[in-house]
Parts: sequence; structure tokens; C-alpha cells
Amino acid sequence: MAERPQPVARPQPHRDVAEARSVHEAPGPDTLLATRNLVIDVPGRTAGAPLDLTVNPGQCWGILGPNGAGKSTLLHTLAGLRDARAGRVELQGTPLAQHARRDLARGLGLVFQKHHDGFPATVLETALIGRHPYLRPWDIETAQDYTLARRALAEMDLSGMEDRLVDTLSGGERQRLAIATVLTQDPALLLLDEPTSQLDLHHQVAVLNRVRTIAAQAGRAAILVLHDVNLAARYCDHLLLLFPDGAACWGPTPTMLVPGALERLYNQSLSVGEIDGRPVFLPTIP
Amino acid sequence: MTRAFLLAIGVLLPASVLAVLVALAFGSVAIPMAELLAVFTDDASRLHSTLVLDLRLPRALAAFAAGGLLGIAGALMQVLLRNPLADPYVLGLSGGASVGALLAMLAGLSMFSVSVAAFAGALLSTVIVFGLAHGTGSWTPTRLLLTGVVVAAGWGAMISFILAVSPTAELPGMLYWLMGDVSHATNPYPAWGVLVLVVLLALPLGRTLNVLARGPMQAAALGVAVRPVEWSIYIAAALITATAVTQVGAVGFVGLIVPHMLRLIFGNDQRVILPASALAGGILLTLADTLARTIIAPEQLPVGVITAMLGVPVFLFLLYRSR
Amino acid sequence: MIKKSRTFTLAGSLLALLVPMMAAASPVTVEDDGGHELRLDQPAQRIVSLAPHITEVVYAVGAGDRLVGATQYSDYPPEAADLPRVGGYSRIDLERVLKLEPDLIIAWRSGNAGSQIERLRDLGIPVYVSEPRRFEGVASSMRRIARLAGTAAAGDAAAQDFLDRIEALRDEYAHRPPVRVFYQVWEQPLMTINDQHLIAEAIEVCGGDNVFGHLDRLVPRMDREAVIEADPEVIIGGGMGEDRPDWVRAWERWEDLTAVQRDNLFFIAPSLLQRHTPRIAEGTALMCEKLERARLRRPDR
Repeated sequence: MAERPQPVARPQPHRDVAEARSVHEAPGPDTLLATRNLVIDVPGRTAGAPLDLTVNPGQCWGILGPNGAGKSTLLHTLAGLRDARAGRVELQGTPLAQHARRDLARGLGLVFQKHHDGFPATVLETALIGRHPYLRPWDIETAQDYTLARRALAEMDLSGMEDRLVDTLSGGERQRLAIATVLTQDPALLLLDEPTSQLDLHHQVAVLNRVRTIAAQAGRAAILVLHDVNLAARYCDHLLLLFPDGAACWGPTPTMLVPGALERLYNQSLSVGEIDGRPVFLPTIP
Repeated sequence: MTRAFLLAIGVLLPASVLAVLVALAFGSVAIPMAELLAVFTDDASRLHSTLVLDLRLPRALAAFAAGGLLGIAGALMQVLLRNPLADPYVLGLSGGASVGALLAMLAGLSMFSVSVAAFAGALLSTVIVFGLAHGTGSWTPTRLLLTGVVVAAGWGAMISFILAVSPTAELPGMLYWLMGDVSHATNPYPAWGVLVLVVLLALPLGRTLNVLARGPMQAAALGVAVRPVEWSIYIAAALITATAVTQVGAVGFVGLIVPHMLRLIFGNDQRVILPASALAGGILLTLADTLARTIIAPEQLPVGVITAMLGVPVFLFLLYRSR
Repeated sequence: MIKKSRTFTLAGSLLALLVPMMAAASPVTVEDDGGHELRLDQPAQRIVSLAPHITEVVYAVGAGDRLVGATQYSDYPPEAADLPRVGGYSRIDLERVLKLEPDLIIAWRSGNAGSQIERLRDLGIPVYVSEPRRFEGVASSMRRIARLAGTAAAGDAAAQDFLDRIEALRDEYAHRPPVRVFYQVWEQPLMTINDQHLIAEAIEVCGGDNVFGHLDRLVPRMDREAVIEADPEVIIGGGMGEDRPDWVRAWERWEDLTAVQRDNLFFIAPSLLQRHTPRIAEGTALMCEKLERARLRRPDR
């Protein structure tokens, strides 16, 4: 009889390097966002490690993980747009469900990975909807709202495009517009789902610099889903690794940048270098 | 937003008054302008004041109210489904109303009962479409639209069935109803009440609809209570359509074309589009009905034929010219 | 009036018993209203009627016992209600027609589907196409259908009786002072008739003047304000059933109308006016009576 087929060779994790260990931090009185035994609802996944995250003001968190690990699902759950399977999310010490939707939109703002533009709208109109949570039904946007929107557009390098129709923008411009909208919304906690995926290098750096500056302000923080380990290592002070099987670990960035853990995360062997005293990871080419 | 709003209202409000005046001035009986003015100062002949005040005025007002309701219902549906193709017709509301009305006619009921049956039919269709589109999972605009289209096709088959089994004498009345006919709308004031109420309610909701037009997730992230708002819109649109259809029969195209044309001109701020749709829909149906009364006077055409013949080329032209 | 017609039908039926014996087995040739020449080797024994008014005419010419099938709403004379049905006149059930094995089909050109008439003809069944226009056409139809059914004598007599009754009304009323009449076929939509219509001839016989007689369409859909401007002296409603529809009284809302002021809002059952049968003589008599009532209500009298 023929030989039994051998399993396809998989990259061997570096077993000699220690696994990353989660660093649990108890929420304090200033804590912006905390999750308690949170299990997110990823379709088709039966198990999932409960998450006990504590995001304090001034922090910038990066979420890393392969496709389908539930990064976007987690972000949506943190924003209260999706029910968790178990556990709860607290914003400023109060469970999300007890916040009015409008108040929640002032506490946290989310930039989606995909952008739906049902009907044609201009760039300025699109940025301006960020003011929606602050306006009562009969209110009309004030000059100050316009100033905020224009400033956000300028920060995202979109000045002069105010009257362009959104559907004429390039992918990168559209992404910067989505970020400008959340900057206009001006929430305490920024949730960004792959904010740099369509940006050129210059704009990636510009966006991440801006996000980090905001997160450093009093009472603010940011959580970003990123695909680039090195950018995450540069800009985020905390990392959350989401594994495809539902396992997770999180903690300050230096404790998470363990080559073995990252290789298991992406199912990809990595070569580690060092620039400016920080580790840099590149895929190993066989 | 303020500039577009003032521009739209500044153009459409005088145009509305003008449309009603045109409807008062023209008909199968020619009334000179001086006589027409005299009607309002009580110096006119009894015939002329009867024609203008008792026949043309209620009819023009009924056409305006029904057109306005259809326009605003279309605008609401399009935001709800985030699809410029949505209108009461496509979603089966008019079909349900038509089946109700035809069944009442077949049973030989009075015109009032026909209106009630049309109203009930529209609501029934709403419940069916929304209930089925909701199904066991969550409803998406595509699913709702698809359900509506299929239910509308079902109503269409029932309409054909009713027409096939009806006695010949009933057919002209049924066909006129299906093509839209303002002539039996004698009391326009309930529809006006609904129209004013809807515009007043829609105005403060406009910005929320702007946000909702960008998708339910984005809207929720910006603080919109998506599910209650969507239900309210759908129920409102159903009630509005039912009221309009009860007045003038199954007039097509107004709900589809009016909001779209306005978007091409004034942009896509619902705070502008909703009131503008009410006014422009009213203008369109008032003028269309005036044409229906005068083109082959003293005979009449069904107004739905005119709205389609006016609406389709204008719509295609604007669409062709737009970016 | 109704009593008289009953006797007349009875007389026709009696004649029908006698006539076939005399005319049996001789071929008949007749031209129908479509210009078709129809030749039967012997008078038809099994007739299918494709319209209510045709059923009525066949009975009126004493050939009712030859009818083996009729369309829906063939409700006069009452015994017609027992005939096997072959569908509505606009959609004939061809299989049922064939099953009845007719040797003559009488069709209605403006009511039946042309393709169905053709189909029956292609199947080799003689089809007589009827399309009576004026009173004279009703009489001529009666004579020709009677010939095909072998009841020529009864048919001629019935046709002559019909024409005589019309002529008597004409002599009596046609030259009286004209009355301006609005005949309302239907309310939703508002429909009337022009002068080409059979009802217009009834109006004319009675000395009436159809206010919309000049329009092009046979059954025009009207704008209400045109009716109000025309200010007819009499409004006659038709409708569908045997009872006056509500919308005849609804004209009372327009109090300035002459017809309303003089209470000249009348109803004549459409079965007596809208069908091309000898019964239209009854409807015409009613029409003349109403118009005469209107003349008596003139203030200058």
C-alpha cells in the first residue's frame, strides 16, 4: 500500500523562547474602559478565553491577530454595537448597556474597516456627521461644529477637498476621511479598525502620530486593530494578541513582543532584528 | 445645509402656490383670469365659483396632499433601505392597497369602504413584508427590498386575477383606480393633516436619517438608536402611503422620482430632501392632475399615466446629466 | 309595460313550435355583421350564444329551445339561467363550447376575443358574428338569427313588433320640445356616451338631446366640471344592477344644476337600455316617460 499522506509541513515555533503571559491589571477609579470576563461572539467558534482588559487614560492599545481571529468583532463589542457571549464591558465604570446610545457616542468613537456611502455626500458633510451625538433634534450645526470638522479634515490632509463627493475619493482618502469624522466626533476613547490599511507610509505615520497624541491627552485613550507588528510595536504601549483558536494574551508592549508568541499568532516563522534598541520582526524566507 | 434648505424651500414653496393656482385656473371650462380672481371676492357667477371652489380647489388640494405624501414616503423608504430604487410601489405597499381596493369594488362596496380597504391592504402588506424580511435572522436592506419586490409581484398576480374575474362593468373603475385618479378625492383635509404632521416630525429626524443613510453600524456608533428609528420610519412610510393611496389610487413614480430628482439638485441632506419631497411631490401631482383634466377635455385621463409620462423623461435626463 | 313583453315572448315561443316544421331541411344563407356569408344546410339545432344580449335575442325570436349553451350573465329570460355556461364573454371556454357540439355559434364582435372567434371558425363550426349598432341593427339581427334558427316567421314578427313600438314612441315624443340629457354610465370613473351609442338613439327617439353626443369616443370618461358647465336638464344614471346606484342622488350636492333644482335625477335599469335586444324598447319607453316628466316640471308651464 502507498504511504499515508504526510501533514503539510508547518513552520516550527521557536520553542526555546517563552510564551507571552498576560499581565492583568485591576481597574482603577480613572479607568476608561474595562472588560470583565468578556467572551466575544465569533460565529463558529465554541470556546474563547475571557478577556479582562483595563484601558486607562493615556494608553494606546494595539490588537494583533490573524484574519478571522475576531479583532473587528472585539472592537464592535467594545463599542456596544454587538452583544458579547458572556461578560460585560464597562465605560468609565458603568456597563455599556446602562449608557444611552447618544452618551456612548461621546464616550467612544469607532472607525470601521469598511465604509458604506448609501447616497452621494460631500467630504465636509461626511466629517460633520461626527457632531451628531452633540446636537439635539432641532439643532443645526453651528459655526463651531464646522470649525471642528474643517480642523479634523486639515489634520488628515484633506483640506481643499471639502466639496468633493465621497465616492470620488481614493481608498486612502476615504480612510482618512473616516478618521477625520471620528476626530470631529472627539470621543474619550478612539476605536480604530485597521486605520492604516490603505494609507501610504507617510500618511500611516501621520495618522498614528495623531492618534498617539490624542491618546496621551488627559482622560483619553485609543485602541487600534493593526496588521503591522512593527508599527504596533512602535506606537502602542499595550498589545492584545488574539489567537485564531480564541486564546488571548495582553499586557505592556515589551512583554508581548515574544517571537514564539508572534509566530504562533500568525502561523509564520519570523526573523528578529533590532533597530534603535527595539525588536523588529520580519517574515523568515525559507 | 441652511443655504440648501432656504434655496429649496424658497423655490418650491412659491412653486407650490403657483401649481395650485394653475390647477384652479385650468379645466375643461375656460374661466378668464378676471373671473377667476372674482371667485375669491364673491363677485363671480355661481357657476364659476362652484367650479373653482367646489370642484377644482378640493381636487387640487387632494392632489397636492397625496403627491406630497407619496414624495416624502419615497424619500423615507430610500433612506431606510439605503437604496435609491425603493418606493412604496417597489415595496408592495401600493400593491396591497390596490388588492384591498379592488376587492371592495368587486364586492360592490361604497367609495368610502374602498378607501378603508385600500388602507387596510397597505398596512397588511407592510406587516407581511416587514415580518417576512425580518424572518428568523436580522433584516438587511437587501433582504427587505427583495421581500418587498416579491410580495409586490404576488399582489400583481392577485390584481390580474381580480381583474380577470370581475364583471366588465366594474373594469373601468378598477383600471382607473390602478392608474391613479384624483377625481374621487372630495375631502383633502385629512390627508393635509397627515402631511403637515409628517413634515413636522420628519424635520427634526432629518439629521438622524442622514447618519442612518451611512449604514446601521455607523449610525449606531454615532449615537442613533437604530432599530427604533428604522421601525418608526417603516411604519410612518406605510401609514403615509396608505393615506395617499386612499386618496388618489395607485399613482406610481412620484415616490421614486421626486426624492431622486431633488437629490440630484440639492444634495443629500434629509433635512432638505424630506420637506422638499413633500412640496415637489405635491407640485408634480397637482400639475399632472391638471393635465389629466385638460389634455383631452372634457374627457379625462388617469393621472398616473401623466406622472409616468412626465416623470420618466425628466428623471432619465437628470440621471444622464449627473455625475 | 313588462306584462306586455311577457306576452310577446310567449307568443314567440308558440310560433317557434310551429315554424320549424314548415321550414325544416331547407338550406339557409345569411350575411353576418362581419360581412361573412354563412350557409347552413339546415336550420341550426344546437346553438351556443357568446353574449347575454345574443341569448336574449335568440329567445325573442322563438329559438330558445335550440340554445345549448350561453355565456355568464345570460340572465334573461329567466329560463336562460339554466343554460350550460361556456365562460364569460371576454374569455370563452372553448372546450366547453366544443363539448356542447354546436352547429351554430353566435358571437359578439366587440365583446368576444377575435382570436377565439377565429379558432372556432377554424374548427369548422359555423360562427355568426353579431354587432348590432342602432335599433335598426337590433331588428336586422333578430331577423337573421331567426333565419339561421329556422324561426324566420317568428323572428320577423318579433323584429317588426320591436320596430313598431320604437316608431310609436318616436311619433309620440321625438318632436316635443328637446330636453338636454346627461346619461351617466358609471361614476368611478365618470362615464357617459356619445351619439353613436344605442342609448343615444333612445334619447333621440324621446326628443332628448345628449349633451355629450358630439364627443369622439363611444364611452368617454368625463371631467365633472364639464357636466356642471353643460348644466343638463335631466341626469339619467345607469350603473350595473337593477337598483338605483347612490351616485345618482349624489348630484344633489350641486344645487345650482337645473336637473337638481327640478329633481330630474332618474334611474333606468341598464339591462333595459344597454343591451342590444328588443327589451330596449321598454327602456326607451321608460326614457320617454322620464323626459316627459322633466318637460312637465318646467317652470314656464
